[in-house]
Amino acid sequence: MSLGSLQICRSILLLTSLSAGLNSFVSADDQVDFNREIRPILSDMCYKCHGPDAAERKAGLRLDGHAGATAKLESGFTAIVAGKPEDSHLIARITTSDPDLMMPPPETERKLTAAQVELLTRWIQQGGEYKGHWSFIRPERLALPAISQENWAANPIDRFVMAKLDKSGLKPSPEADRYNLIRRVTLDLTGLPATPEEVDAFVNDSDPNAYEKLVDRLLASGRYGEQMTRYWLDLVRYGDSHGLHLDNERALWKYREWVIGAFNANKPFDQFTIEQLAGDLLPNPTIDQQIATGFNRCNVTTSEGGSINEEVLVRYAVDRTETMSTIFMGMTLGCAVCHDHKFDPVSQKEFFQLFAFYNASADAAMDGNALAPPPTIKVPTAEQTAMLSELDQKLTATREELNKALASVEYVDPGAGTVVAAPEPADYIWGEDDAPAGAKLEGDSPWEFVTAPDHPVHAGTRSTRRQADAMSQHFFTGAAPTLKIGEGDKLFAYCWIDPANPPKTVMLQFNDGNWNHRAFWGEDTIAFGAGDTPEHRSMGPLPKAGEWVRLEVSAAHVGLPAGTELNGWAFTQFGGTVYWDHAGSVTKTLQGNQSFESQVAWEAADKSVEKSAVPQPVRDAIKVEADKRTPEQSKLIRDHFVQFIHPKTRLTFEPLQKQIDEMTRQRNETDAAIAITMIMADLPTPRETFILKRGEYNMPGEKVEANVPAVFPPLPADAPRNRLGLAKWLTDPSHPLTARVTVNRYWQQYFGVGLVKTAEDFGLQGQWPTNPELLDWLAVEFVESGWDVKALQKLIVMSSTYRQSSRVSPDLLQIDPNNDLLARGPRFRLDAEVVRDSALSMSGLLSEQFGGKSVKPYQPDGIWEAVAFVGSTTQYYKRDAGEALYRRSLYTFWKRTAPPPSLMAFDAPSRETCVARRARTNTPLQALVLMNDEQYVEASRNLAARMIKEGGDNPAAQMLFGFRVCTARVPTEQELTVLNKVYAGQLAHYQANPAEAEKLLVIGASPRPEGIDPATHAAMTMMANLLLNLDEAITKE
Amino acid sequence: MHPFAQHALQQTRRYFFGQSAAGIGTAALASVLNPNLLSANTPVRTSFGELPSLHHSPSAKRVIWLFMADAPSQLDLYDYKPKLADFFDKDLPESVRNGQRITTMTSGQTRLPCAPSIFKFAQHGEHRAWVSELLPNIASIVNDICIVKTMNTEAINHDPAITYIQTGSQLPGRPSMGSWVSYGLGSPNKDLPAFVVLHSRIPGGAQTQALFSRLWGSGFMSTRHAGVALRSSGDPVLYLSNPSGVDPATRRRMLDGLAELNTDRLNTVGDPEIASRISQYEMAFRMQTSVPDLTDISDEPQSVLDMYGPEVKEPGTFAYNCLLARRMAERGVPFTQVFLRGWDHHGGLPNAIRGMAPACDRPSAALVKDLKQRGMLDDTLVIWGGEFGRTVYSQGTLTKENYGRDHHPRNFTMWMAGGGIKGGQVYGETDDFSYNVVDKPVHIHDLNATILHLLGVNHEQLTYRFQGRDFRLTDVHGTVVRDILRA
Repeated sequence: MSLGSLQICRSILLLTSLSAGLNSFVSADDQVDFNREIRPILSDMCYKCHGPDAAERKAGLRLDGHAGATAKLESGFTAIVAGKPEDSHLIARITTSDPDLMMPPPETERKLTAAQVELLTRWIQQGGEYKGHWSFIRPERLALPAISQENWAANPIDRFVMAKLDKSGLKPSPEADRYNLIRRVTLDLTGLPATPEEVDAFVNDSDPNAYEKLVDRLLASGRYGEQMTRYWLDLVRYGDSHGLHLDNERALWKYREWVIGAFNANKPFDQFTIEQLAGDLLPNPTIDQQIATGFNRCNVTTSEGGSINEEVLVRYAVDRTETMSTIFMGMTLGCAVCHDHKFDPVSQKEFFQLFAFYNASADAAMDGNALAPPPTIKVPTAEQTAMLSELDQKLTATREELNKALASVEYVDPGAGTVVAAPEPADYIWGEDDAPAGAKLEGDSPWEFVTAPDHPVHAGTRSTRRQADAMSQHFFTGAAPTLKIGEGDKLFAYCWIDPANPPKTVMLQFNDGNWNHRAFWGEDTIAFGAGDTPEHRSMGPLPKAGEWVRLEVSAAHVGLPAGTELNGWAFTQFGGTVYWDHAGSVTKTLQGNQSFESQVAWEAADKSVEKSAVPQPVRDAIKVEADKRTPEQSKLIRDHFVQFIHPKTRLTFEPLQKQIDEMTRQRNETDAAIAITMIMADLPTPRETFILKRGEYNMPGEKVEANVPAVFPPLPADAPRNRLGLAKWLTDPSHPLTARVTVNRYWQQYFGVGLVKTAEDFGLQGQWPTNPELLDWLAVEFVESGWDVKALQKLIVMSSTYRQSSRVSPDLLQIDPNNDLLARGPRFRLDAEVVRDSALSMSGLLSEQFGGKSVKPYQPDGIWEAVAFVGSTTQYYKRDAGEALYRRSLYTFWKRTAPPPSLMAFDAPSRETCVARRARTNTPLQALVLMNDEQYVEASRNLAARMIKEGGDNPAAQMLFGFRVCTARVPTEQELTVLNKVYAGQLAHYQANPAEAEKLLVIGASPRPEGIDPATHAAMTMMANLLLNLDEAITKE
Repeated sequence: MHPFAQHALQQTRRYFFGQSAAGIGTAALASVLNPNLLSANTPVRTSFGELPSLHHSPSAKRVIWLFMADAPSQLDLYDYKPKLADFFDKDLPESVRNGQRITTMTSGQTRLPCAPSIFKFAQHGEHRAWVSELLPNIASIVNDICIVKTMNTEAINHDPAITYIQTGSQLPGRPSMGSWVSYGLGSPNKDLPAFVVLHSRIPGGAQTQALFSRLWGSGFMSTRHAGVALRSSGDPVLYLSNPSGVDPATRRRMLDGLAELNTDRLNTVGDPEIASRISQYEMAFRMQTSVPDLTDISDEPQSVLDMYGPEVKEPGTFAYNCLLARRMAERGVPFTQVFLRGWDHHGGLPNAIRGMAPACDRPSAALVKDLKQRGMLDDTLVIWGGEFGRTVYSQGTLTKENYGRDHHPRNFTMWMAGGGIKGGQVYGETDDFSYNVVDKPVHIHDLNATILHLLGVNHEQLTYRFQGRDFRLTDVHGTVVRDILRA
C-alpha cells in the first residue's frame, strides 16, 4: 500500500468509524490492538450469548477471555486457534453465507462489516492475544511524548495532544484572543461572564503572567465553588423534593452548601469522597462530615400508601449502589441487578455484594412525606445557638421561681363534694395543637398540621392549614370529655386567611350529635343548611386576611342551649388557603377537670374519664392509690392541682405560666427555624443481603456479604465492611477507575466532551478514550497531587490546548467534526444555569448571596398544579419576591416531578437519576425562553437601562457597550451597522406607539429606573433582548 | 449568503422536536399544519426519525392514548361478573387470591369481602360485548373497539405502575413511550412536537394522584424527544407569546437583526451549530402562529362540537383535549397522550365513579367516531386505559350501596381502536372474580410492543445505546398481540 492510499484509507476510516461508534484513530502500523479494536467488536456482537452471563451462554462458548475462546468446544471445533485464522471456527462462522451457521445470527439484526471481519482475522493471525480491559488496569504515568513544536506545550497536557495532532498531520489553532480567552475561562471557572472592566484589565495587562493571575483570581473566587457544585448536583441527583408520589419538599440544601464549601476550600477529592460516602462512620464525625453524608440521601423516596417496605428498601439500595458506581467508577451496574452483567465482568452476586454496603441504611422505606425524614441533624447558626441558650436559662430561672411559689402555697383539701364553678367566664381551650382527647380526625383530605416560622401559628406550637379549590373541610367527632355548653357561652376559633389566596367563605360547624349548628363568614357558598337559622348563621364578611382573627359565635345563636355537649367541630371553607388554631368556648361551666376546690374530688373525676387534658405522668400518679404513692408522685399531683386546677390558686400562677408558655413558644420557634438536613446512618445490625433472583425483592437466593467485584483490587483485609471501607477502597491510589473517571468529567466540563465520551461508562461498552495516554497521565497526576482539585482545573485551563481559538475552517470541520483531536478550542452552548446566570449578571440583576435554602424565581403559572398531588407541599408554586428572584440558578428550587421549565428547555436534568453528562440540544423552545420568559424580558429591560446610563450619550455607543457586556469583545463596524439599523426601526415603532413601550417596561418585579424616555428605553430593551439572544451570548467560544 | 454559511447549513442536520431543519428564508419546510399531509394512500414511508426506515409496513401513523390515570375499576365498567352477586360480603376465596401480594392499604383488613358492582351491564354490538351503564357512549362504539380484559402488570402502587406502563421500568430514568416514537420515527410535521401531552381538568374536584414529568420525559435520550405539554391556560406552549408591548413586527425586526449578526458570526467562526440556531429561531417565530391555530377550535362546525359534548368549549376539559387530539392527528403529530386523572376510588366508589364516567364517556367515544367519519380511524390508533385495575374485594366498609376498591395489578381492562386493531372483539378472559387472568394475558410490555408494531416498528429493534447497553421500551420483554390485529 502506498503512503498516499494509506492516507486516503485513514480518512475514510475516520469518517466511517465515527458512525460505527468505534474509536476514530487507526494505528499507522498493522498491529491490531485488542482493547481498542477487537474487544468492542466482540462485546457488541458476541458477548450477549458468548460473554460473562452464564445463563445466556450458547454452545458453551465464552469469547470474553483467552481460555474460553481457545478451548475445544462440545462440537469439537475451536473458536480461536492462535495464529491460524483458517483453523479458527470463529472466522468460519462469521464469513459463511449459510444463514443457519452465520454469526451473529441473522435474526439479531447485527452484522459484522467487512472491515471488522478483516480485523478479527488479522488479530487471530497475530496471535489472538487477549488483554484486560484498559480501564480495569491501574493507570501508569507515561513518559511524555516527543512533539513537533516544543514551544507550543505549556504543560504535559499539550504534549499528549500534539502527539496525536502530529500523527494526523494537523496543527493546533492559534491562541484565542484575549477578549475571547477571559470570557471563556471566566465562564468555565465561575459560571458567570467577565465584566467589561475585567476584560479591559486583562486585555491591557502586559505582565507575561497576566493569564495565570487571572486564573488564580477566578479559582479563589467563591463563585468557583458554585460552578463546580452545579455539575456535582447532576451526579448526586440533588433535588428539593422527594421525587416520588406526593413529591413533598425535602430539606437537603445544607448538603448543597457543604459541597460548595468543599470545592471552595479545595478539599482533596479523596476526602471529599470519603466524607460524602461515609462521613458518619468516621471517628467522632463533625457536624460538617455528617452533613456531607446527605450525598447518600439524595435518592428519590416515596411514602405512597400501600407500598411494600421490603420492595422499596431494595429499590433505594439498588439506586444508591448504581449511583455510587456511576459517579466513582464510571460503571453502570444496573444490568447486574437481574442477571450477570452481559458485557462487564461483574456478576449478579458481585452486584449484591456491593448492594450489601447500602443494605444497612437506617432511613425508613416510607419517607412519611416529611420535610426531613430521619436520620437528620440540626445545624444551628451561632445566633440560634446563643438564643436557645439564653431562653433555656430564663426558662430554668422562671420554673424555679414557680416551683418556689408552688411550695409556698398552703393547701388544705376541703373534702370531696365541694365542687365550685369558676367565678367568671373565661376562655376554655378545647383544641390547641391537636384535636381534643378522644377525637377522631377526619376531612376530605387529612388534617395538615403546620408549624412556625414557615406558617402562621396563633398559639402553641402548630396550627392547621387547608388549601382548597372548592368546598373543603376537616373535622373531628367523638371528643371525650365533651365540651359542655353553659348559659351565655360563646364558641370561638382563630382563623388566618392567606391574602394571596383567600377563600370565599369560612364556616364553623358544631356537633352535639348532629351537625346542624353552623356559623359562616363571607359569601354564602357552602351548601349546608339554609336561611337565617341556627343551621346557617351568617356572621358577616370574611375576616381580615393576613392576620389572626378571632371568630366568635354565641352558642345559643347556633342552636346550642345550656346543657348541650359538643363532641365534634368542623372547620370548613370554600376555596383559598386558611389556617385554624386555638378553639374553645368562653365559659364558666365545669369542663371535666376544671374548677375543683378539692384535690380528692378532682382525682376521682379524672380517674373516671378515659381521656383528659391532664398530662400523662400526673394521670399515672393519680392511678396509684393515695397511700401507695411515692413522695414524688404525691408532689406531682398536688403541684399540678394547685397550679392548674384549683380555681383560686391557679389564678396566681397564671402570669408565671404565661411567661413560661411565651418563652417555650419562642424556644420552639427558634428551634423550628434551625436548619435541618437529612444525613446517613447505618442500622446497628445490617440487614442480611441475598442475591435477589431477577432482582425481585421477594425472591432471595444465596446469602452474600459486603464486598467488591473481583476484577478490581480487593478490599484491604482490615478495612471495615461498610461504606467507610468502600469509600477508602474507591480512593485508594490502586483503584483503576476513580481518578480516571473523575478527571475525565473535569475534562468534559471544559471541552464539552470527555476524553472518554461516555463519561458514565468506562466499561466494555463505553467509548475508547480519544487520547488514552493523556487520560492516564492526568489520572496519575491527580492522585499524586494529593487529589488536588483546583490544581487539576488550573492545569487544564493553563494548557495551550485549552487556550486555542475555537474558530474552525471547513477543512478541519470535515476532518474532525467533533474536535476529538483538539486541533481547536472548545465551542459549545452554555449550560442551562449559566445561560440564566449570565443574563442576570449582564443585566445587573444577579444576587451574589451565597448558600441557603432554595428559591422560587419566575415560572409560568400552573406548572406544579398541573401534575401535583392534591395536598402535596409542592402543589402550589409560590413565586418568591425581591432578591430571591435573582439568585444563581444553582439555588433554584428543584421539584423533581416538575422541574424548572426554563432550565429544562436547556437540557437540565430532572434530578431523579444520576446524570454524568447532559444532552446539548438546540431547539425553538430555547429561542422562546430567551425571547419571552419574564426573567429574560426583565433582564433585557435592565440591561437596556445599563446601556443607556453607562454606555455613552448616543445609541451607537450604548449598543457597543451592550455588545461588550454580552460577548466581551468589541463589535465590528458591520455588526454595529446592523444594530443601528434595527434600533432605528424599534425606536420609530415605540415613538409612534408609546402605550406599547409602557407595557413592555413594566415586565418583571424590579423597579423601573427614572429619567429614561420610555420609547428609547423600550427600543433599547428590544436591542438588549437581541443581544441576549445572540448565539455568541449563550455560547462559550 | 456567504458560501461557508451555505455549506454549513447544508451540512448541519439538526432537529426541532426531532425534525430536520432547513435554512433561513427557504421555503423547504412543509407548510405549517397542513391537513393534506394525511392523504389516505401514502405508500410505506421511510422514517422521519433515527430509524432509517420502518421495519415493516405500518398500519398506524399516529397514536392517541387517552390515559385514565389513577386506574379506573374494570369491575364497574367493562369486566362483567354476574356470579359475583352470590358472593356479596363473602370473603374472597383463598383459592382465588392464592397468596398474591396485596397493598398495605388492605393487607391489614381482617376481611376481604367481595363487592359486586352495583352498576347494570348490558350487551352491545354485533359481538354482544358487555359494557356498564356508566359508559353509554363507549357502549355505542363497541363494534369499532377491541376490549382487552386481561391487561396485567407487576406494580401495585400508582407511582411505580404509571412509570412502568409509560417507560417500561418502574423506576425513574427511562424514556417514555412517546419519546421512543419521537426518537425512532420523528414526525412529518416540522412545526409541531412529535409527542404532545394534554392534561385534563379533574372533574368535580375528585381526589387524585400526582403525575410526574418523567411520564412524558425523555429519560436518557435527548430532551428534544420529551413530550411537550400543551397548556389550557396561559401560553399553550410555554413562553410562546411575545411579551406585552412586543408585536409581531417588532419581534420580526429583532429576529432579522439577530439572524444577520448570527450569520456574520457563523462566517467568522465556522461552527455549524450557529446555522442550526438561526433556523430554530425561525421555527420559533412560525410556532407563534401555528400553535394558536391548532388550539383555536372556532373553525369546528357545531355538529362536531356537539359530538364531544358541551364541555368541549372549555379549554382544559377532557372533551376539549379529545378534540385537540384529533386536530393534532390531522396535522400529523405521531403521539398524543391525553391524561385524565380522578379514578382512584379506594372508598365511596359508586358515587365517585358516577362523577367521573360522564366526563370521560362521551368525549372518548366522540373521538373514535370523529376520526372514523373523517376516514382517519384506519391509520390512527386510539388507546383507552390506565396503569392497573381495582380489586373485587372492598377496601373499607362494604354495604349494598357503597364500597371501595384497592389497586389490582393482576388484570385490568383497556381498549384500543383503529390503526390496525381489529374492532368488534373482546380479548382475553378473567375468572369469576376479575381477580386472575384465565385466558390470553396481555402484559403492559406486550401492549407497548403491539403499539410499536402497529407503527411499523419491531420493538426489539428500536434501541438506544446508553451506559453501554442497548435499551428498549420493552426492556427484554414484550410480545406483539397478533390476535387483536386486523388481518
